[in-house]
Amino acid sequence: MSTADSASLWAQLKQAGLVEGDVPAETLAVTPWYIRTMLGIAGWIGAMFLFGFVGAAFSIVMKSAASGLLVGALLCAGATVLFRARPNGDFFNQFALAVSIAGQSLIGVGLGQLLPSQIALIAIAFAALQVGLFLLIPNFLHRVLSTMGGIGALVVAFSDWGFYSYTQAIVFAAFGWAWLNEFRFAGRGAEIRPLAYGLTLIVIVELVTQSSMGYWRAGWMGRGQMAFIGGALGFWIGAALIGAITVWVVRKLLLRQGIAISRGPGLAALAGAVIVGLISLKAPGVGVAVTMLLLGYANANRVLTGLGMLSLLAYWSYYYYSLEMTLLEKSEVLVCAGVVLIAARLAMKRRWPIGDGEDARHA
Amino acid sequence: MKTRRHILLDWLEQDRIAAENLQDALAVAGVFPSAANWRRFLDQLLLWLGALLLAAGVIFFLAYNWNDLGRFAKFGLVEIVVVGALIVIWRAGLENIAGKVTLLAASLFVGALLALVGQTYQTGADTFELFAAWAVLILPWVLVGRLAALWLVWIGLLNLATIFYYQTFGGLFGLLFGADQLLWVLFVLNTIPLVVWEVLARGGARDRWAIRILATASGALVTALAIYAVVEWRGSNGLGLLAWVAYFIGVYVVYRHMVLDVYVLAGGVLSIIVVVTTWLGTHLMKSGDAPGAMLLIGMIVIGLSAAGGWWLKQVVNGAKS
Repeated sequence: MSTADSASLWAQLKQAGLVEGDVPAETLAVTPWYIRTMLGIAGWIGAMFLFGFVGAAFSIVMKSAASGLLVGALLCAGATVLFRARPNGDFFNQFALAVSIAGQSLIGVGLGQLLPSQIALIAIAFAALQVGLFLLIPNFLHRVLSTMGGIGALVVAFSDWGFYSYTQAIVFAAFGWAWLNEFRFAGRGAEIRPLAYGLTLIVIVELVTQSSMGYWRAGWMGRGQMAFIGGALGFWIGAALIGAITVWVVRKLLLRQGIAISRGPGLAALAGAVIVGLISLKAPGVGVAVTMLLLGYANANRVLTGLGMLSLLAYWSYYYYSLEMTLLEKSEVLVCAGVVLIAARLAMKRRWPIGDGEDARHA
Repeated sequence: MKTRRHILLDWLEQDRIAAENLQDALAVAGVFPSAANWRRFLDQLLLWLGALLLAAGVIFFLAYNWNDLGRFAKFGLVEIVVVGALIVIWRAGLENIAGKVTLLAASLFVGALLALVGQTYQTGADTFELFAAWAVLILPWVLVGRLAALWLVWIGLLNLATIFYYQTFGGLFGLLFGADQLLWVLFVLNTIPLVVWEVLARGGARDRWAIRILATASGALVTALAIYAVVEWRGSNGLGLLAWVAYFIGVYVVYRHMVLDVYVLAGGVLSIIVVVTTWLGTHLMKSGDAPGAMLLIGMIVIGLSAAGGWWLKQVVNGAKS
């Protein structure tokens, strides 16, 4: 976007009485997602070497829970100080990121020794650590990683308590809530956006790791059978919740757009959401991916839209190998879903036509 | 590069827009899509999603190999689906997005048809022949379709055919050319379309995502070749490392100075970090002082990535003003 363009945007806002004064002269530097991804991966590699260094040089920290927890906590505290002291220093941030991940790994090892085989307790303690780090460290990338670590740990704890079949729906609901409220808590953008991205990544991970009950029952981290509250019905309830959340997100988006949901296009959109929700009963990934695409488009967030497409393709290949249904049943679900969606498109074209010329231009 | 959404969030951060005004400002700036925009988006969403689900359904159905359905019924079914798709394409025309998406689905159906032939008549054909034949058969459609996603499917089929070919005959050639030969072939296979596509696009923004996927594949493969050369230094002749150096010099020249694409440059930085780490790891860890080596390598990784991140941000933000 050029300077002239931002000047005209400013004038537009001024006319609407939303801003005052002259166009802001300087624009803040942007860091696109791929630079952050590179920094995140490299930070992990660096952290693993630091972790190895601490473990090899001071072998006591790997053997005693107390010293492991202490050194880990010191590393996390040091990282927090570095992040807060120089929020914009590239080298400081990258160093602090690696130190923090190394410290968290040490704390993880220490917790494992302190609470042997108490998976849920370890996970809850780790999640609490992530909450603290999320609040204390004002760095975007670190907050995304903290969200992923914390939510991932909660999923483990919930699964251990027998709520495995509902975790996907719970994380998905949090994901929908975060993106719907991205602009409502505008002053909290530095918290809500990394939270939302972290939730998105966990949603995608869950999409391709959710597997059949039998598979999870066989061995839950080597501790024999996993409990399932609600049994087989739980998986149906989980899938139904995902469908319901899809409809809820669409309803919220319509209301935000100011479209009446009782008639015309609003009602049609809601009906479409219900169809996607029904498909989600048998293929929950479809509802998840569609909701991600819709939220990405609604918030003009191209990264989120891209992640939605990625998750759809990932789910497509995951679904083939998943064990809950035979290929014949899956093919029935997919063919019916495909036919219904294409029919919906044709109905939409008939009811609210867009000119053919326009159609071709956007091809 | 910077969208209106970014600009507004920027101004919010500078306290030039009050937080309570942000939603209204986003609406005034047209960041939220209009009803007409939504209408077009939903059109595309339903079309792509419907076609992909339908194509997947047909493929899953044949993969199930249902014994209750005779082979003629199966062939008839797939052929009806292919012919039906062609009728839709004929009616819609290839300039229309619906025609293009249907062509993509039809190309997937051809694969299902070939798999069915292999399943029904156990011809003794190898898996690579299925993918090779599939690629050859749909080539005319790929050429007339002019759809980026269809080209990527086609290049993906060539990759699969090559991988399965080496799985079948790899033993013989492996002895002659070294085990990294498959990586070399795949590298060339993905780099040629990248170069051709970039030349034809002349730096245009259209379908840049597809170019980036090709660049990711070819960059990852040349990185794997370099790692191979580094860790099996005696077994391989170092050509992989040479190719890697040449490749990323080329990437720098093209994507920094001719077609500015910082995504590819960021991939290059990551590749350098990975290869340098591997090299340091293989040479320093042997020398006895493992903790010292790990600290050194960790710090080098942090230094390299911080410097790389700083440079990439300079390039991104310098390019906009």
